[in-house]
Amino acid sequence: MKAVGNLQAPVYGVAAEFHSARDLYHAAEKIRDAGFSKWDVFSPFPIHGMDEAMGMKRSILGKVVFLGGLTGFLTAVTLQFGPTAFLYPLIVAGKPTDLFTVPAFFPIMFELTILISAFTAVFGMLLMNGLPRLNHALFNWDRFKKVTEDKFFVAIESADPKFSERPVRDFLESLGGDNITTIHGD
Amino acid sequence: MSEQPTTFDYKHVGGRFLGLVATALAAYAAIFIGAAFAPDQFAFSYLFAFTFFFTICMGGFFWVLVHHAVDAEWSVVVRRQLENIGSLLVVMALLFIPMVFVAPRLWDWMRIAPGTDVLLSEKWPYLTPWFFWIRAGFYFLFFGIAATWLRANSILQDADGAPRYTVFNRRITFASLPFFAVCLTFSAIDWLMGLDFRWFSTMWGVYIFAGTALSSLCVLVLLITALRGVGYFEGVITVEHYHIIGKLMFAFTIFWAYIGFSQYMLIWYANIPEETIYFLRRNTESWQVLSTVLVVGHFFVPFLLLLSNPGKRKPAFLCGVAVWILLMHLLDIYVIVLPVLHKAGVVVSWMDFACLAAIGCTLAAVFLKRLGDAPLWPLRDPRLAKSIALKN
Repeated sequence: MKAVGNLQAPVYGVAAEFHSARDLYHAAEKIRDAGFSKWDVFSPFPIHGMDEAMGMKRSILGKVVFLGGLTGFLTAVTLQFGPTAFLYPLIVAGKPTDLFTVPAFFPIMFELTILISAFTAVFGMLLMNGLPRLNHALFNWDRFKKVTEDKFFVAIESADPKFSERPVRDFLESLGGDNITTIHGD
Repeated sequence: MSEQPTTFDYKHVGGRFLGLVATALAAYAAIFIGAAFAPDQFAFSYLFAFTFFFTICMGGFFWVLVHHAVDAEWSVVVRRQLENIGSLLVVMALLFIPMVFVAPRLWDWMRIAPGTDVLLSEKWPYLTPWFFWIRAGFYFLFFGIAATWLRANSILQDADGAPRYTVFNRRITFASLPFFAVCLTFSAIDWLMGLDFRWFSTMWGVYIFAGTALSSLCVLVLLITALRGVGYFEGVITVEHYHIIGKLMFAFTIFWAYIGFSQYMLIWYANIPEETIYFLRRNTESWQVLSTVLVVGHFFVPFLLLLSNPGKRKPAFLCGVAVWILLMHLLDIYVIVLPVLHKAGVVVSWMDFACLAAIGCTLAAVFLKRLGDAPLWPLRDPRLAKSIALKN
C-alpha cells in the first residue's frame, strides 16, 4: 500500500496511473457513473470528449463574462455620455451631445466592453481554477511528473462525499489503474 | 452511411425547375420592356439585384479558399455546396452583360467629357472606360477560372481519392488569395463606389466583403437544411456543423457592424463634405428610416439571436436567422445602390423585384444543374471522416 507526502498530514486523495488516453477516457466514464464528484483527470494533452466522459457541466464562466462585458459597457455609457450630455453639456464641432452623437462614444464603449470581458474571463478562470497557487499535493508523488510527458492520471479527492480510502483504491484498480497511491498533503 | 444517396436526385425538384426557368424568362421579358420605358430605373434595379447575388457567389468562393488555405477539417462536408455556389460566378459574368448597355446611366463619370471635371481628371487613368472594362473582364476571368478549377479538382478527387488534388487545390488557393482580395475590393470600388466618383471610402472593399462572407454562410445554412430535409447528408452533416456555421455567422455579424461603424464614424467625425455626401443622402428623407433599420436589423437583432449557444445548434432556428440576415443584406445593397438614383427618398419600383427574380431564378436553375452534376459532398477527401466526426 503506497502512500506519499507527509504521512501525518491529511489525505488529499487517491491517484492512479493509466497508460493511454483511451484507458483514461474509459476510466473517467466509469468514475462518472459511480457518482463521484470531486475528482479530476490529468493528461499531457487535451483529450477530445473528456468533458462528456467526466460528466462535466458547462462552466458558468460565460455568464460571468457577459456580466463583466455589461459592466464595461455601462461604465463607458455612464462616464462618457452622462457628463458630456447632462452634467456639463459639450458642443464639439457644432454637434451638441445627444442621441445623434452617440457614435462618437462607440469606440470607448466597445473597448471597455471588450476589456472588462477579457479581464473577467482571464481572472475569473484563474479564480475558478484556484490559481495561482505555489504547490499542490499531487506534486508529492514523483511518478506524477510524467503527466507532462507520456502518462495519464486520475485522482479522486478525499473531499468527495463518497470517498473512503480502501474502496476507492480497489475501485481504481478494477478500472485498470497502475501504481495506485494515496496522496497526503504537506 | 454507404447506404444513403450521395448525388442529388432531380425528383425532389421535378416540375419546379421549369417553373424557375419560366419565371426567369418572364422576368427578363418584363425588365426588357421596363428598360425601354425607364432605362435609369432598370439600370439601378439591375445593379442592385446583380450585386446582391454577386456577393453571395463571391462568398461561396471565399469559403472554399479559406477551407484550402487553412487546411480546414470541419468544412469538408459542406465544401461541395460552397464550390457549387462559387462556380455560379461564371454565370454572373454573363449576367453582367446587360449593364454594359446602361453603363453611362449607372456610372455618371462615363457621361462627363474628359478634362472638364477636375476631380475626374485627377482619377485618370483609373476612371477611363477602356480600363474600366478591362478590369471588369479581369475580375470575371479570375473568378471564373479559379472557382471552376477548384471545383473540378474536388470532383476529380471523388473518383480516385488521390490526396494530390487536395495539395494542388491548396496551391491554386494560395495563388488566388491575393487576386480574390484585389478583385473583390476593386469590383466593389468600380461598380458601387463608382456610382458617385466624387466620393471615396478606404473601407469600402472590406465593408462589401463583410456582407459577402456573412450572406454566403446564410445561403449555405438554408441550402444544407433543405438538402437534409429531403433526406441527404444523413450522418454526414450534424448539429456540430451547424454550430460552427452559427459561430461564423455571429462573428461576421459583428465584423460587418465593426467595419460599417468604423467607416461611418470616421467620415461622420471628420465631417469633410466630399466624404459625408454618401451618408448625408442615406441619412436624410425616407432613406434615414432604411439606414436605421439596417443598423438595428443587420447588427443588433442577429447579434442578440446568435449570442447564446443553444440557438446555434438548432437548424430551424439558424435557418430563421439566416433568412433574416439575407433580407438585411438585401436591404444593405439596396441602401448602397438606389439612393444614387432616387435622391429625394425611397421609391420602390417593380423592376427591383423583377430583376431579383430574373437573376435569382437564373442562378437557382444553374445551381440545380451543378447540384446534380456531382456528389453532394467530397466523397473521398482525405479529411472526410474527421470532418464527419466533428465535435465543438
